[in-house]
Amino acid sequence: MNALGIIFSYSQRENLRELTKRRTLASLPVAGKYRVIDFPLSNFVNHGIYDVSVLARNNYHSLTDHLGAGKEWDLVRKRGGLRILTPFARHDTEKPGIYRGSIEALAYNMHSIRRSMSEYVVITGSSYLYDIDFTHLMQTHIENNSDVTTVYTRKKPVSGEIPQGAAVMDMDDTQRLLNIGLATEEDGAKNAAWAMDVFVIRKSLLESLVADAMSYGRFDFNEDIIKRLISNLCFRGYEYNGYLLEVNSVTGYMQTSMNLLDPGVRAKVFQNPVYTKNKDSVPTRYAEGCYVSNSIISDGCRIEGTVENSVLSRGVRIGKNAIVKNSVIMQNTEVMRDVVLDHVILDKDVIVREYRSLSGHATYPVIVEKGSIV
Amino acid sequence: MAYREKRKMVAMLLAGGQGSRLGVLTNKVAKPAVPFGGKYRIIDFPLSNCVNSGIDTIGVLTQYQPLELNAYIGSGQPWDLDRQNGGVFILPPYVKGKSGEWYKGTANAIYQNINFIDLYDPDYVLIISGDHIYKMNYQYMLNEHIKREADCTIAVLQVPWEEASRFGVMNVDHELRITEFEEKPENPRSNMASMGVYIFNWDKLKEYLVRDENDTESQNDFGKNLIPSMLLNGENMYAYEYKGYWKDVGTIESLWEANMDLLEHNAPIELDDPPWRIYSRSANMPPQYIGKDAILINASISDGCNINGTIENSILFPGVKVEAGASIKNSILFSGVVVKENAVVDHSILAEDAVVNFRACIGQTKRNEVNDGSPKITVVAQNTVIEAGAVVFAGESVEGNVSREVKA
Repeated sequence: MNALGIIFSYSQRENLRELTKRRTLASLPVAGKYRVIDFPLSNFVNHGIYDVSVLARNNYHSLTDHLGAGKEWDLVRKRGGLRILTPFARHDTEKPGIYRGSIEALAYNMHSIRRSMSEYVVITGSSYLYDIDFTHLMQTHIENNSDVTTVYTRKKPVSGEIPQGAAVMDMDDTQRLLNIGLATEEDGAKNAAWAMDVFVIRKSLLESLVADAMSYGRFDFNEDIIKRLISNLCFRGYEYNGYLLEVNSVTGYMQTSMNLLDPGVRAKVFQNPVYTKNKDSVPTRYAEGCYVSNSIISDGCRIEGTVENSVLSRGVRIGKNAIVKNSVIMQNTEVMRDVVLDHVILDKDVIVREYRSLSGHATYPVIVEKGSIV
Repeated sequence: MAYREKRKMVAMLLAGGQGSRLGVLTNKVAKPAVPFGGKYRIIDFPLSNCVNSGIDTIGVLTQYQPLELNAYIGSGQPWDLDRQNGGVFILPPYVKGKSGEWYKGTANAIYQNINFIDLYDPDYVLIISGDHIYKMNYQYMLNEHIKREADCTIAVLQVPWEEASRFGVMNVDHELRITEFEEKPENPRSNMASMGVYIFNWDKLKEYLVRDENDTESQNDFGKNLIPSMLLNGENMYAYEYKGYWKDVGTIESLWEANMDLLEHNAPIELDDPPWRIYSRSANMPPQYIGKDAILINASISDGCNINGTIENSILFPGVKVEAGASIKNSILFSGVVVKENAVVDHSILAEDAVVNFRACIGQTKRNEVNDGSPKITVVAQNTVIEAGAVVFAGESVEGNVSREVKA
């Protein structure tokens, strides 16, 4: 496809507590063996977008480690392929690498974006998991002669509310955008259309809009480009109806993990292949005396205890008589014998020693930081 | 040329064997491509051993049903063998001038690829096969080979005396110098068996390959012809004793046993070994899902599986589906196998994409049959469909559609 895909690997509005203390949102482990970025990246590749730039802001070590050269996503290419755009030091600030908004992030990486031979740009964030038909989106964008097509949805990923800080879109019958603004409580009740931060734009137009906004010191895409130019340019909405899972808050992350245990949800999420880094792990071993029910288990685990309604990443060890319920356990974490866990998120490389007991709640799970020993 | 730098040692992996004793499992694939251990194929073991031993130039000699194997090895990327210099090369027999012929024997296969080996101008050549499950550092063997100034070093291991006649066995002196070599002798005089792993000085090997080719009486086989002839001429030949786990998986029984070895409490071969990982080309599948009705007792399960039945002492490859009420015991299920509700599978190997329908029974022991202790392994070929309620008796091997009903 004649498009450059850009993924913002961070979010201004995420609330993931300890989980993103040392990593960027896009490299958050999810659904067992995946990282959040595997979803938008696979989504691009599955729809023929093989020219992809990932915008990194801070703590992107785990992200570069995960993506490598892009081999697993088939993005090692001479034409296009994967590029990680690490922050560019600015001359005029004491805080290098921290962009003042998405416009500034794009502006400072324009030298790379400009080099792409693609005519269009598809921009997406890392806050939600979804599977958009980019081929159809692009076709709609071109047929309607739109300047910007913004993807919106009326779905509510977590507890019947529009995610905090999302922009609500007001459109006419032809889906032409009339107004855009922050969601209010009433919007949630009204089944309003809210923007998923995914849009298509012609690359040359993006370049001039970004340059223009920068020269006036404006940094917010929705506020400073869309809203200001709403009557001059043709902005249109494109409704997304597929699955939508939120990962940019702890509650959303927990709910997403639990939703994935549903066979119907899994069937949709994995309808198209989702690629991830290959670890050459061994198959998972279930010892005599283990009990596993309704759980997602990745390769390389060794399970001797009980695991119920939980999601395990690769290389997790669950000891004898341990009971793990409603929890998410990330890579290479060890839960020793006779431990009891309920509504807990254990980050990578954690050790929970014998006879410990941790218990949280669905809306406020216990989070144990990467590398901790409990 | 810049992309063909000299190598100290080049490995030649003999992967042309049919493995006819594996029956229906090698209907469509060569023996080295037969699945093993939940996500691997047999060839992953010698290939990973090479890479882990620092050997990065490997010729894979194929002949029988090579398509699957070619596709599997591909660019060699899963083994880190997609290199600028060297890497993995598939070497099928090819036409040369007016002639051109199949590989007549193991030695002839190497003979026909003398030009390939010469491209890398190696000092040593490692000959291995794609038939065995083991973890071995060939670099240690090469060190011994160099230290002893040997012309040829053969890796050996001690096998039970009653099995010795299945192997090439050798007599050695106290310095492990080989004094006698017999290929599959009726009355073995030693239990030091050849593992089919050889290191040769390339100049010496080349000389003998040419000589062997010119000998019209020769069967062009390493064990039968080339090695005895080197021994006869008094070349420096040493044994290198290997003491780890090594298993020939040439028969259904040994393949099944080697898989079951992995499930033992203290497995004789540990695959979860980060410094010596076994690499493989993995299917891209979501993680496994264990349902509410699953009972797992000592099982090894891979990505993409969806389990709701009982799995006991069994190995499941990626993408296997086992429905509620089904029972899988002491069995190996290759990729994509589906076992429907209430079906029973025991002591069996189910090849890729086999489907076992509702209440079918695989590996059922016949009534009045006396069990002599050694279990009979049942084999279901690739893509076979076992109809609902059908029975496949222990020790049978089935392909196509099976709809036999047994009257109660």
